[in-house]
Amino acid sequence: MKPVRYLLICFLGLSGLLASCVRGEDLDNDAEGNFKALWTILDEHYCFFDYKAQTIGLDWNQVYTTYHNRLSKDMNSMQLFEVLGEMLSELQDGHVNLYASHDIARNWSWYEDFPANFNDSVHELYLGTDYKIASGLQYKILDDNIGYIYCPSFNSGLGEGNISQVLQYFAECTGIIVDVRENSGGELTKAERLASHFTNERILVGYMSHKTGAGHNDFSGLQEIWLEPSDGVRWQKKAVVLTNRRCYSATNDFVKDMKECPNVTIIGDQTGGGSGMPFSSELPNGWSVRFSACPIYDVNKNHTEFGIAPDINVGMKIEDLLKNKDTLIEFARDFLKN
Amino acid sequence: MCIQKLFLSILVLCLPLGVENLHAQEYADGPHNRYTSHGLTFGVGLTNVFDSYLSPLEYTGMEIRVQRETFRQTTFADGKIYVQTLLNAHASATENTAGNANMYEGLLSWDLGYLYKFRLNDNFSILAGPALDLNGGVIYNERNSNNPAQAKASIHLAASGMLLYKFHWLHKDFLLRYQATAPFLGAMFTPEYGESYYEIFELKDSGRHLVVTTPFSAPSLRQTLSLDFPLKQTLIRVSYIGDFQQNKVNSLKSHVWSHAFLIGFVKNFQLVKPGDSNFKHTPLQP
Repeated sequence: MKPVRYLLICFLGLSGLLASCVRGEDLDNDAEGNFKALWTILDEHYCFFDYKAQTIGLDWNQVYTTYHNRLSKDMNSMQLFEVLGEMLSELQDGHVNLYASHDIARNWSWYEDFPANFNDSVHELYLGTDYKIASGLQYKILDDNIGYIYCPSFNSGLGEGNISQVLQYFAECTGIIVDVRENSGGELTKAERLASHFTNERILVGYMSHKTGAGHNDFSGLQEIWLEPSDGVRWQKKAVVLTNRRCYSATNDFVKDMKECPNVTIIGDQTGGGSGMPFSSELPNGWSVRFSACPIYDVNKNHTEFGIAPDINVGMKIEDLLKNKDTLIEFARDFLKN
Repeated sequence: MCIQKLFLSILVLCLPLGVENLHAQEYADGPHNRYTSHGLTFGVGLTNVFDSYLSPLEYTGMEIRVQRETFRQTTFADGKIYVQTLLNAHASATENTAGNANMYEGLLSWDLGYLYKFRLNDNFSILAGPALDLNGGVIYNERNSNNPAQAKASIHLAASGMLLYKFHWLHKDFLLRYQATAPFLGAMFTPEYGESYYEIFELKDSGRHLVVTTPFSAPSLRQTLSLDFPLKQTLIRVSYIGDFQQNKVNSLKSHVWSHAFLIGFVKNFQLVKPGDSNFKHTPLQP
């Protein structure tokens, strides 16, 4: 049975040779292990370290020291979650979250620290009850022949046909308002799809890059982002985009694109930002973590992580609210009529 | 037409009839009675999946697998060169150590190998040669946002070796076979370290997506240990497959390790020329 022995030796030898070649790091599922895993995931993948060191004085190594000192061996799961959540909030990034079964750690200062510039009750008065809905877009023609579209999310199944139908409906209008206030994002492709109906030319709207390694400065070159004109109905008259601080992520990207479109004016407050496309990862204890991974820049190669300034800054006036008027919508209507 | 008719008439299905007499038969090595063997096996196994693009954790779970093999003797080198095609398909459902997230993985691989046989004695042979290895598949993590999946596509030149050992036990013939195939040069698709598929497919990013692989960057191995034996009028094959596909490219690490046990059947076809008085039936590969 010598050959059988040869077979077994080959079999076991090759199996053993390869069994431990390419593996991840051993991660302990305790407070120390989960802390290190989270800090390392961010350290190797987060895309705004340099930018945030310049703008908010972020020192990620100091963050490690500060929060590592708060660990203890006997801390429970909720206490650990609190420490890790606070550590992540140092990044001041709405795309950075820690998800556990009992809570979501977040930093929503990008809108919580600013005026809303939006009022649900007043907004409902403008829409009334007879507005139309096309795959998430709520729209109607206002009394002064201004078309009004409210886009609360880019997570809907917004298609070319929907947008073309809406714009066709507004064909006789003087101008249109695209209201994206309170829209905290969704799919980038849907945002681009809507914006593509506002240009007749292929236009450069920004840049994108990604990390090529674990180092804080390991980035690819800037990839140009071009906005292709839609094959459907394209809006040729004046248009206004209304913004507030809750315009985040894909909506921030939509505003970036619309800013480059002709005949489009951005009115309202600065957007909330969120220009890093988020990736996901996880800790040994199963908690999920989300973080900004791929930075998107505007056409001047500037970060828009902390928002995009409007062309005309308009805030909600309390006296208008008392009269059930939305200052931003009223301003936009006057702007389009003149 | 005449040649076609001739070949049609001489290709005879040679199922292992008369298995009680197998031990007395000799095995045809020459090209005039060359044979083709078809094997089809199904099975289940354990899988360990890791892809640092998706998660720093290893996921473990079960897989189902099917393997289709064609092993054909050629006329080259006096019948000592064999062509082997291997189709492996498997799908797995795995979960992380905390048990609160799932990853699904599927991989299809096709190998074409040309093996030269060194016959050491009547019972023991060694085959070795190059192989072309094509792989395609996907790993999907159900809870990731903009990095939910990782596409797998690769082409490799591989070295393949096979040991064949035929033995007789309990009045039956058995064929024990071990084969290992390891890639030594190839190319594979991969995103860059932190790159989204949105950049690759929507923005047409021209990054380093096609990378050359070597045993250092893709130390992979697919090995099979199988036993063929007759059961009534059928040749049964039971096998173990250890499939270790690994790579570390663009600072991304990935592995899919599988240990699967399969069972199925084998059919041998043997070329017989009309009036060939020297024909020797070969129910098991030598």
